[in-house]
Amino acid sequence: MADRAPDRLLRMLGMIAYLDRHEGVPVGELADQFGVSAAQVMQDVELLWVTGTPGYLPYDLIDFDASSYEQGVVRLTESRGMTRPLRLGAREAVSLVAALRALDDALGPALDEERSAVLRSALAKLTAATGDAAAGAVDVVLARTGAPHVQSAVARALRLGRRLHLRYVDAADVASERDVDPIRLVTDDEHSYLLAWCRAVDGERLFRVDRVLDATLLDESAEEHDVAEGAGTFAPGTDGELVTLRLASRARWVAEVTPVDEVRNLDDGSFEVDLRVVNPAWLQHLVLQVAGAVLEVRPSSVARDAAQAARAALRAYEELAS
Amino acid sequence: MATSPAAAERLLNLVIALVNTPVRMTKEQVRSTVAGYGDAPSDESFERMFERDKDMLRELGVPVLTITDAGHGDDFGYRIDLDTYALAPIDLTAAELGVLTMAAELWQDRSLRADSTRALTKLRAVGQAPGSTDLVAGLSPRVRDGGGAFAPLVDAVQARQAVRFTYRAATTGEVRERVVEPWKLLARRGGWVLVARDRDRGATRSFRLSRIEGSVRTVGPAGAFETPTPEELADALSSWDSGTRGVATLAVLPDRASALRARDVDGPRPTVAGRDVLRVPFRADWELAEEVVGYGDAVLVLEPTPVREAVLSLLRRAAALDDDGGTAHDVEAAEVSRG
Repeated sequence: MADRAPDRLLRMLGMIAYLDRHEGVPVGELADQFGVSAAQVMQDVELLWVTGTPGYLPYDLIDFDASSYEQGVVRLTESRGMTRPLRLGAREAVSLVAALRALDDALGPALDEERSAVLRSALAKLTAATGDAAAGAVDVVLARTGAPHVQSAVARALRLGRRLHLRYVDAADVASERDVDPIRLVTDDEHSYLLAWCRAVDGERLFRVDRVLDATLLDESAEEHDVAEGAGTFAPGTDGELVTLRLASRARWVAEVTPVDEVRNLDDGSFEVDLRVVNPAWLQHLVLQVAGAVLEVRPSSVARDAAQAARAALRAYEELAS
Repeated sequence: MATSPAAAERLLNLVIALVNTPVRMTKEQVRSTVAGYGDAPSDESFERMFERDKDMLRELGVPVLTITDAGHGDDFGYRIDLDTYALAPIDLTAAELGVLTMAAELWQDRSLRADSTRALTKLRAVGQAPGSTDLVAGLSPRVRDGGGAFAPLVDAVQARQAVRFTYRAATTGEVRERVVEPWKLLARRGGWVLVARDRDRGATRSFRLSRIEGSVRTVGPAGAFETPTPEELADALSSWDSGTRGVATLAVLPDRASALRARDVDGPRPTVAGRDVLRVPFRADWELAEEVVGYGDAVLVLEPTPVREAVLSLLRRAAALDDDGGTAHDVEAAEVSRG
């Protein structure tokens, strides 16, 4: 990806400050430190070498030890006063402090003592360096779903690289048992999902942690599996039945939290969403959930199925009352 | 947006020049002495280039000060104040840098991602060694995109500056202009929310960022309102903070709804009409009603009444969905409303 000028500027300023603190750093180490390629580090060093104060005579310029550099070691000999690390901008501080706080809050139960101590010390140092006020603008709460014993088993399996035995209930309310190799825990503001390789179907699956009924650590190590880029996120698929819902405005959240193909705002304030539905149980749940705001359903068989389920439930309420 | 290597070189030379200038540099001095500016083909293009670079540096946290000469009031120049420039002393271990790297990846929002990546670049200068990632292996927290409204709102919250935007109210579908004093941005279940004082209503309101249409513009000067008191803020946030609201009693068909069974507290109890009775804690009436209704006749709500009524209301509406070929009539919202 093309390096944007502001990002490159910050990296070069950061390199001078870092090199001032470390006497002679191999190019490869500098590359790891700043998360770029060795070739990029060399381009940065060569650009730094020709910058400096107006006049740009040899003693005006940022300088490195040329013989070290020939051997692949970057040694700063003249910094032109640029050795102090640059402070964080207001939004930069907010973005990191808010993220750390959210992690501390959400991952707390999933982390062992050592790791949560690191998280807290990073947060304390950062807050001390940027000021507490900076952090007040943004407040993030991540989902903390799932039974505590499940959360902690999942976290331990990920940390130790062990296989898990899950008892899981899917969206259609069907419970099953399976062995999985955990890959990662994906947490957002709504749910927590375990991305894992399911050995029963020999493929990657997302398990909602709050639907994991029980998780047991097995003695076997988890095997490594290649997962597709973007696994662990939901995106509207191209397969599955196309279903269109026209909804009253107050059901706007449907467009916001479900992976919809398309949203169309209509003049009367209502809107239509197109969904690609792979799992009919999930769709029926959604229709019942927003029943109060459903204005139209296409195809009509979806409406008929939901209505039948609703009538059965209403009859059950009546039977219970009598 | 500057993308060429020349832009990075010019910005770097400008920073070094403004740090090292004994008093200040005027625009003319910048143009005639700082490498990269002499190439500007006209006065106008130099002005544009310099203004853009100056804004960019300030955006990146570089304190470019405007210095006025006491003797010549209309003659001013620029300088970078090194004491303001510098990060407060901070020393990060490899493990801490690793945690910060994961934190920076929390954001899916493009502007937040850019901000946290830049913050990380700056902190790498004071980190002890390359960030280790095994500390955070397997954890991948994500916060969804806040959209184009996010960055200007964060700036406005920090500057205590009022903003104007067009908002689509979900309850009515009404689209209207709002002028608000922004207090805080929250990421909660289902997305980003701005908590603010609505100037027209004279009251605190919450706005979902996804329902803001078009751009957010500032109104009036910075520092225009007081930061809310802790009490005011707590009051405004209370509806967004989850906590257990109560415990519901549910009647569940045998072998169904294992996910609800897993949340049962202090069971077991005698069955009712062949159904198992569960006690399940919940946070909000609407949330439990929406979950339970999905089970159809497998799960019935016995208590509390508001949740039971909310489910019954949804079921009655759903039962009428096939009345006339899939079209229902919109009636006034009687059901519990979702946040």
